[in-house]
Amino acid sequence: MSLSVAPNQKSVMTPQANQDAKAKLTALLDAAVDGIIIIDHLGHIELFNSAAETLFGYASDEVIGQNINKLMPQPYREQHDGYLRNYASTLQAKIIGIGREVKARKKNGDIFPIDLSVGDVKNASHKQFVGIIRDITDKVQARNDAIEQRERLAHVTRLSTMGEMAAGIAHEVNQPLTAVSAYAQSCINLLRQSNDQDSQLYQTLTITLDKINQQAIRASDVIQRLRGFMQKGTSHREAVTVSKLIYDTLSMAQIDTRLLEHGVTLDIPPDVGEQLVHVDAVQVQQVLLNLLRNGVDAMEQHTESPLQVKACWHDSQYIEVSVIDSGTGIKPQDVAQLFTPFFTTKSSGMGMGLSISQSIVLSHQGRLWYEPGLSTGSVFSFTLPAYIAEHGNPL
Amino acid sequence: MDDTHTFYTPTVYVIDDDDAVRDSIGMLLNSVSLNTELFAAPDAFIQAFQPAELVNLQGCILLDIRMPGMSGLECQKWLLTHQCHLPIVFITGHGDVPMAVQAMKDGAVEFLQKPFHEQTLIDSIHNALQIDQQRCIHYEQQARVNERVAQLTPREQEVLKRVVAGNSNKVIAGELNLSQRTIEIHRAAVMGKMDVSSVAELVTLMTMLEVT
Repeated sequence: MSLSVAPNQKSVMTPQANQDAKAKLTALLDAAVDGIIIIDHLGHIELFNSAAETLFGYASDEVIGQNINKLMPQPYREQHDGYLRNYASTLQAKIIGIGREVKARKKNGDIFPIDLSVGDVKNASHKQFVGIIRDITDKVQARNDAIEQRERLAHVTRLSTMGEMAAGIAHEVNQPLTAVSAYAQSCINLLRQSNDQDSQLYQTLTITLDKINQQAIRASDVIQRLRGFMQKGTSHREAVTVSKLIYDTLSMAQIDTRLLEHGVTLDIPPDVGEQLVHVDAVQVQQVLLNLLRNGVDAMEQHTESPLQVKACWHDSQYIEVSVIDSGTGIKPQDVAQLFTPFFTTKSSGMGMGLSISQSIVLSHQGRLWYEPGLSTGSVFSFTLPAYIAEHGNPL
Repeated sequence: MDDTHTFYTPTVYVIDDDDAVRDSIGMLLNSVSLNTELFAAPDAFIQAFQPAELVNLQGCILLDIRMPGMSGLECQKWLLTHQCHLPIVFITGHGDVPMAVQAMKDGAVEFLQKPFHEQTLIDSIHNALQIDQQRCIHYEQQARVNERVAQLTPREQEVLKRVVAGNSNKVIAGELNLSQRTIEIHRAAVMGKMDVSSVAELVTLMTMLEVT
């Protein structure tokens, strides 16, 4: 690393002391993990430490004296000179003293996210700025992954909500359609037993009734196709551990800050946590997330109580996961309808959550059920078949 | 046995919680000359009959899968444990594969998805009724055989058992410690009371009791 520190004319130093200060500074700059760059008021690079060399892929010789905007991608590259001129005229820099997240450009053209904090060098012979640069690629990647996972979950939730709604509608509409078609056919049958089959009226009536019948069947076909289309959503089964499923869901569930207020107590014995299950992780997370949200909703009045998540073996072949709240509980008269589509006890609910959750659990050969809590509240539990790799999987 | 044809008067028991579906299916089945009785829930059906009556019902059940209270599948199980062997045709608003598999495993005749073509429903019902008629004829025959066996004296029943097993009069006489002549008289009485003219006929009759 080469240092080009401008001589400080105000301080009086012996050559020896000056030498020592320079050595200390060099050591300090080289030891820093973050990239450190000093520029003058025109943006020309005066100092480029070894961490910066690693970050950007330039040797300091290549960049000393060059404009700092060489290290910036568009549109920052264009704008930077303007920022410097602005500062020179107003002496107000928006960035100084605050860190900010920007993009930087490596020698090979790669653009990567950095955390940049800028300070101005006081008492220097001329105007200087120091920039400290931290590569935050990993942090941004992790954040993007989390966002992507949330979006994927939201997408799957939307899809399965639509599928379940289509199924619910199909069921409700198929009943009257069945009746329409059966009534029409009854009339046709009764007419056929009558004596004046040659009459014009008989002909017209039977043909019309047959048309009624055809239309009822056509309507049900439409619903059937819609349902089939909604259910086509692909399912990605993978082997994941029980604890990963639960922890991943909890980290997503914390978007709902009410969950943080309550807190969650976990009861996952190690042999259960390490057990693999062969599931569509996103779908199962959706089930658990739904149960967690229901639990928090139920405890609106009981902010001091935590939500409990428990996992245990069930019949030696299944893993049972329970979400236990100490909230208002379910009224006895509502229990029978809990899993019915469009049934809800919440003022703003759509009544699809438990219905969808049950469909998901059923499609994994598990079971989802409700029990009243020990004293208050509710316990919602579901099972998933344990995945034993040696024996292969029946799925 | 040539007097076996009993008068078969089947009824289709329609159990569906949807009023319009129940009513329209009832009307449809009546329009093709089938007797129906309609029930809004499995409970209503179960409570309409004494346990002894349930066993002797003739016909078949048209059963909706999803109903509040007792579901169709639970109703099927209940009927089986209470010796009601009416064939069941399931109807469902959902094409629920696991449910269909379970229902068929437990002996359902058919699993129809709403809405169905009328002819499919009527064919399934006729199929179920045919199965039921066979069952009823068989029960009737068994009952008649049992009636005749009940008319035999304990001694004659001993002899019957051994004749059907293929033993000669001599062997039977030895086993029961009686004279061959006495066995011949018992055998003649058995054949007379059982209304058969050959041992082969007697064996056929008795094997009927073994098959349910």
